[in-house]
Amino acid sequence: MTAPTLDTAPDTGRGTGAPRFLADLLRVFNANKLSWLGLVLFVGLCLAAVFAPLLATHDPIDQSILYRLRPPSDSHWLGTDSYGRDVFSRILYGARISLIIGLASIALGLVVGGALGILAGYRGGWVDQAIMRVMDVLLSFPTLIMGLLVVAMLGASMLNLIIAIAFTVVPKFARIARAPTIAVRERDYIEACRALGYSDLRIMVVHILPNVLGEILVLASLWTATAIRIEASLSFIGLGVAPPTPTWGGMIREGFEYILDAPWLSIYPGLAVLLLVFSLNLLGDGLRDAIDPKLRE
Amino acid sequence: MFRYTLHRLLAAVPTLLAVLTVIFLIIRVVPGDPAIAILGDNASQQVIDAFRDRLGLNDPLWVQYGRFLAEIAQGDLGSSMVSGRTVWQEVGAVLPYTIDLTAASILIGILLGIPLGVLAAVHRNGWIDYVTRLVSLLGLSFPAFFTAILLILVFSIELRWFPVISRADMADPADRLYNLVLPALSLGLIMTAYVTRAARSSMLEVLGEDYVRTARAKGVPPRVVVLHHALRNALIPIVTVIGLYLGLLIGNSVLTEIVFNRPGLGKLIVTSLNQRDYAMLQGLMVVYACFIVVVNLLTDLTYGLLDPRVKHQ
Amino acid sequence: MPSTPNSASDPAPDNAGVSDTVLSVRGLTTAFNRRGHFHAAVRHVGFDLQRNETLCLVGESGCGKSVTALSLMRLLPGRRQCRVSGSAWFDGQDLLALSEPAMTRLRGARLSMIFQEPMTSLNPVLPIGAQVGEPLVFHRGLSRQEAEREALRLLDLVKIPDAARRLRQFPHQFSGGMRQRVMIAMALACRPDILFADEPTTALDVTIQAQVLALLNDLRQERNLSLVLITHDLGVVASVADRVAVMYAGEIVEQAPADRLFARPSHPYTEALLRSIPRSDRDVGELRAISGQVPPIHRMPAGCRYAPRCPVAEAACLDATPALAPLPGDPAHAVRCRVRNPAAASEGRIGHA
Repeated sequence: MTAPTLDTAPDTGRGTGAPRFLADLLRVFNANKLSWLGLVLFVGLCLAAVFAPLLATHDPIDQSILYRLRPPSDSHWLGTDSYGRDVFSRILYGARISLIIGLASIALGLVVGGALGILAGYRGGWVDQAIMRVMDVLLSFPTLIMGLLVVAMLGASMLNLIIAIAFTVVPKFARIARAPTIAVRERDYIEACRALGYSDLRIMVVHILPNVLGEILVLASLWTATAIRIEASLSFIGLGVAPPTPTWGGMIREGFEYILDAPWLSIYPGLAVLLLVFSLNLLGDGLRDAIDPKLRE
Repeated sequence: MFRYTLHRLLAAVPTLLAVLTVIFLIIRVVPGDPAIAILGDNASQQVIDAFRDRLGLNDPLWVQYGRFLAEIAQGDLGSSMVSGRTVWQEVGAVLPYTIDLTAASILIGILLGIPLGVLAAVHRNGWIDYVTRLVSLLGLSFPAFFTAILLILVFSIELRWFPVISRADMADPADRLYNLVLPALSLGLIMTAYVTRAARSSMLEVLGEDYVRTARAKGVPPRVVVLHHALRNALIPIVTVIGLYLGLLIGNSVLTEIVFNRPGLGKLIVTSLNQRDYAMLQGLMVVYACFIVVVNLLTDLTYGLLDPRVKHQ
Repeated sequence: MPSTPNSASDPAPDNAGVSDTVLSVRGLTTAFNRRGHFHAAVRHVGFDLQRNETLCLVGESGCGKSVTALSLMRLLPGRRQCRVSGSAWFDGQDLLALSEPAMTRLRGARLSMIFQEPMTSLNPVLPIGAQVGEPLVFHRGLSRQEAEREALRLLDLVKIPDAARRLRQFPHQFSGGMRQRVMIAMALACRPDILFADEPTTALDVTIQAQVLALLNDLRQERNLSLVLITHDLGVVASVADRVAVMYAGEIVEQAPADRLFARPSHPYTEALLRSIPRSDRDVGELRAISGQVPPIHRMPAGCRYAPRCPVAEAACLDATPALAPLPGDPAHAVRCRVRNPAAASEGRIGHA
């Protein structure tokens, strides 16, 4: 029964090191042209937000009763709202709010959730049980309802919106971070670190975190898309950053009252949300292909 | 199957308890005094104290928690601090709307999403696949209120086929359906995007399985291989995903209900938030929690029906 | 790129007369797409299969045995990933040129195949009876009920006890050996002419292996079936093969009637394979693994593909591809080695895939 079974492993050595990850990334990006489109769109929108003061044609909060509800024209490219404010300029400035809240909430959720997940996976036992039970419960609530509840309780402000949205993604990050931690924990070199007397904290930060980070970052790009959509939704409900600061959701909310006479008021900010969320989804979709070993062939 | 059902039912109990605890804590621990919110900043301290006393807010937290659980166990979800009507009455009034909307959206998602996903998977890397992937990615980038607004613009304002405000006469089936079309589409199309992606990836996985090759090796025609052999298996993870997305749907229905000014659980929640009607809010969250636990249970049971490995446990 | 289908340089030994040949394969070359380039995993494979004969395809994992069978059954992915050329004549038609619907009508009816993994080869959500009877529904037009009755008889045929009850059960309720019996029953449902069995016993326990193998052998004789048995296990070959084709790196390197191959192994690779079988009359010390590995398909050596691992290789082996040619004085025994068979040196530098 011991005839030759020298299995020839296919030569797809799958390292997990950073250069390997970057090489994969580049290859998948090249194979999946749409992720380039996503990257270009996203970077473009970020630049537009950063340079909003240079690009804006008008002051975004400057009211002008004479120019109320004007349709798009040469002087107001995307028209004006019910206070005579320039829609194009407000969309540019609104991008800042969407991006700040989207990125900051995901960063906060990533740090807190990632830490909880790594802790749960590394410690195991009752710590794991306790953390993950709570996470599962939080996860069972619809994200928007949870965000709504927390913002309503804390009050609508930029910081509270960030906290509320971060709160809804913490359990997702915890789950994602936990699984690879458990896998890494069992490896010999972690055992060796422990034998050498390294502290748990040091092992978690120096040795486990890098192994877990790739996947977390990819999903972070997808969830940033969700976070931006939720911010827009909360603003639309009336729980966004308070007026007169321009937010996309808030603009759509105000514009919707004039849907019959001035549909551009809801359409253009809506398209802005769509474009930003879409660009992040394109980007994240490509990135996910890059890290999914099943799709690497 | 009976034992499996019983097992799932029992497993749902601790989940429900945990969810209730989280709701209780969020509502108590998060800052903001409901008494002041209701009575206004000018209310005297005596009035506030009396009010807090009446609601039991001065009791220790664990006493409040015990009372909270005991009331829920008796089916008492409390009543609105604004209208005075019980949570059950308020929920009962809008529940048919919510159920209509949820069910119709899911149905649209399944009826469009599964065939599209299967088609994309079968033509992997062909143009159908690319278009489907791109369109579904675009679809799930849509905020629910934006699809609703676009549908209103096109079908209500331009074409005048449907009313702008969806206030159905629930007693009249035709009117009920007529008013459901646009709201259900606005959520159903987003749902379709999610289901399509789930169906595609699940089908791709299954089409690579050995038993699909076996079916081809015995001369089963390609259509039957896909629809009978592969899809039956692919449905198992799809059902799980649909169960998960139901939560998303329930969340998004808040937005749809606002745009169409349609009664429903979502609008109820926004109204009680604006009125800081925390008793109502708590009751509504419990209703949501039960809803979700029931959905998870149904998902598990469907799973059991589809997968003989589970059924025969 | 795959070369022309009729490469005359690969004569398949033919010892039993033309009339009883059920399958005649010539120049079968199968190339897979790897990052935009096609590389041949199977190259210039040719053989004739006689009625009621067991032909064993032998070799290490990854040498192209399974790909050969899958190519002939046309079960490989589409042209974007995989290209098959050559010819395979069966009942007056070329399997490799048939339309897909025509091929679907042949599969499971006249050509069947069973696979290595009985655990994953049955559909987990369909009852056994429906799966076994299914070929009869599509090829014989039986109703589902009639097919199920027939399935009962088939389960009896492959000696599954309590068949009537087993019929309504699902794959997860069967052991590995029982599942492989189910696979055999399914494959034989329409009384095919040829059965490809791809390592049918490899995944099974040793005691079960012998039973399943014996069952296959009995059924072959009983049903006048031609069996193409793919295996890496020379013990299996010795017990059931009529003829053997040894494959290495996608090519047939030696082909002969079983008794003659064991009596006079001529290709260095065949010798190495035989040396690696443990035998009671030899010291363990003599048991040797073959050093090195089968080269990956995108990095095939230019000359003889075995040369880098071959103990008797000469300089000339490295730059000229040998042909599969009959040994002088033994037309049924073909060997692809210029050192052992002077006739093999004739192919020269052709067919670089």
